[in-house]
Amino acid sequence: MLFFATTIDGLQMGLCFAVLALGVYISYSILDFPDLSVDGTFPLGGVCCTVLMLKLGIPALIAVFLSFFAGLIAGAVTGMLHVKFNISKLLSGIIVMTALLSVTLALTKLLTKTGFTTTIFSFRSENLTGIFSGKTAALLGNANRDYMIILIELIFVIAVKVIIDLFLKTKLGYMLKATGDNEMLVASLGKDNGTYKILGIALANGFSAMSGALYSNLYSQYDNSSGSGKVVMALASVIIGIAVFSKIRFIADTTAVILGAVIYSLCLNYLVLVDTNGIYLKLLNAVMFALILIFNEKTASFTAKHSKLKRGKNKC
Amino acid sequence: MLELKNVSKIYNPGTVTELCLFDNFNFTVKGGEFVSVVGSNGSGKTSMLNIICGSIPVSDGRVLIDGKNVNTLPEFKRYRMIGRVYQNPSAGTCPNMTILENMSLADNKGKRFGLSFGVNNARKEFYRSQLSSLGLGLEDKLDVKLGALSGGQRQAVSLLMATMTPIDFLILDEHTAALDPKTAEIIMELTDKVIKEKNLTAIMVTHNLRYAVEYGTRLVMMDKGNIILDKQGEEKQNVKVDDILDIFNKISIECGN
Repeated sequence: MLFFATTIDGLQMGLCFAVLALGVYISYSILDFPDLSVDGTFPLGGVCCTVLMLKLGIPALIAVFLSFFAGLIAGAVTGMLHVKFNISKLLSGIIVMTALLSVTLALTKLLTKTGFTTTIFSFRSENLTGIFSGKTAALLGNANRDYMIILIELIFVIAVKVIIDLFLKTKLGYMLKATGDNEMLVASLGKDNGTYKILGIALANGFSAMSGALYSNLYSQYDNSSGSGKVVMALASVIIGIAVFSKIRFIADTTAVILGAVIYSLCLNYLVLVDTNGIYLKLLNAVMFALILIFNEKTASFTAKHSKLKRGKNKC
Repeated sequence: MLELKNVSKIYNPGTVTELCLFDNFNFTVKGGEFVSVVGSNGSGKTSMLNIICGSIPVSDGRVLIDGKNVNTLPEFKRYRMIGRVYQNPSAGTCPNMTILENMSLADNKGKRFGLSFGVNNARKEFYRSQLSSLGLGLEDKLDVKLGALSGGQRQAVSLLMATMTPIDFLILDEHTAALDPKTAEIIMELTDKVIKEKNLTAIMVTHNLRYAVEYGTRLVMMDKGNIILDKQGEEKQNVKVDDILDIFNKISIECGN
């Protein structure tokens, strides 16, 4: 039973972090920009959303969308620092991350005590039976809150995925891909690749903030330290997802990233089962990440060898 | 028309490694000319191209395109008038994008890259016909990633992409140097064909003296930041590879190697 509960919890967490991972997919995989400011924009989104909901009484869904823009602005600052002032990618991320520590703290001061509000995961079962009828209603009526949370998250994550997929098929999206692939080409098309870098990093951090907002909705609380370790977590999700699932032909990169985030969160949760005191949690976490990278390296060389054999048989 | 007027270029000014490459360098390319530039390493051929494209700033002097001073224009804005093919075949294309996506990128040069779909299916036939003119069978591989192609194929696509939209100048920066002799020959013939078909003004830097002699309407030889040979028109037609090789040898002896 404990195992089951852990799995459910892991799924909820994983889908929440999938939005973050999708953002980091834009910055890391597409733009080739290891962006550390994500560590700061994740709690920024959380605190913005919480303040908007508790202080201003803005509906949860709108608050989540608005927090996207908070991340967008912070990300644009990271991009500008790198593009306009030639600060290295890592350092511009660190600068913004550090600055955001204070920003989030200041925003937290606005929240003096706990309050009541409706999160996007609040719902009543009667409302649901109104939408669904017959067998589905009976099924959903019995389903507890956990499943509904997963369903809502799933809808959210798929929406974000579809938006990113569509965006990457536009001309602007092509330019973003080209910027990560070959900056020189973007220049020779008569465009300033700096603009696209700033845009990409801004979007990535927007999604990171959105993920933070979802996270505070999920647990009905805001935690100022929720940002620590998010870069590693997101990178691990992206790398696992791309490494394991991208080899399967019909799975798009974005889907692979979502699956990666879910798997990574599940693994993290199972580690808690192993190490109940939580002392070795980070160590186990690091070992797991290392193992996945090693495994990835092995399978890559394996497929390379075998595809060569196959090519020899079929071609020419 | 392209003019370099009294251009000076000093590398690492004020340090012990200070190197004055160009001192009052003047060079004019008229519209419709196809200039082959030869010269030993370090003679300033690539530096000249970089100065024209704005990849490196000039220390003094002016770069004029059609009489307009472009000194203050950043590199990417100059590329709106210039197409460039690099020595490295992967420099002119996106290796992780498909041929179709690359072609659409090039096709939209000079337009806005907004939120409309990147690939216009109505243009597919046009891309196919362009690719089939290369004669490499690439028209059936629209969905193959550029990185999976050979260097020669990539360079052919680069050439196509650089010349797809109307440009004022085509800059060829040793674009056959990284290819095997046979592929280099194919690419060189393609280049000549494209330049003639589209009536482009081109500057080609090459180390292959035969290409420099066989192709182009004008031949320029550079040494230590100076033009030491400039043949055009009929004079150019009568130049032999051996003549140039002789001059090359003389320069080398002066240099002491």
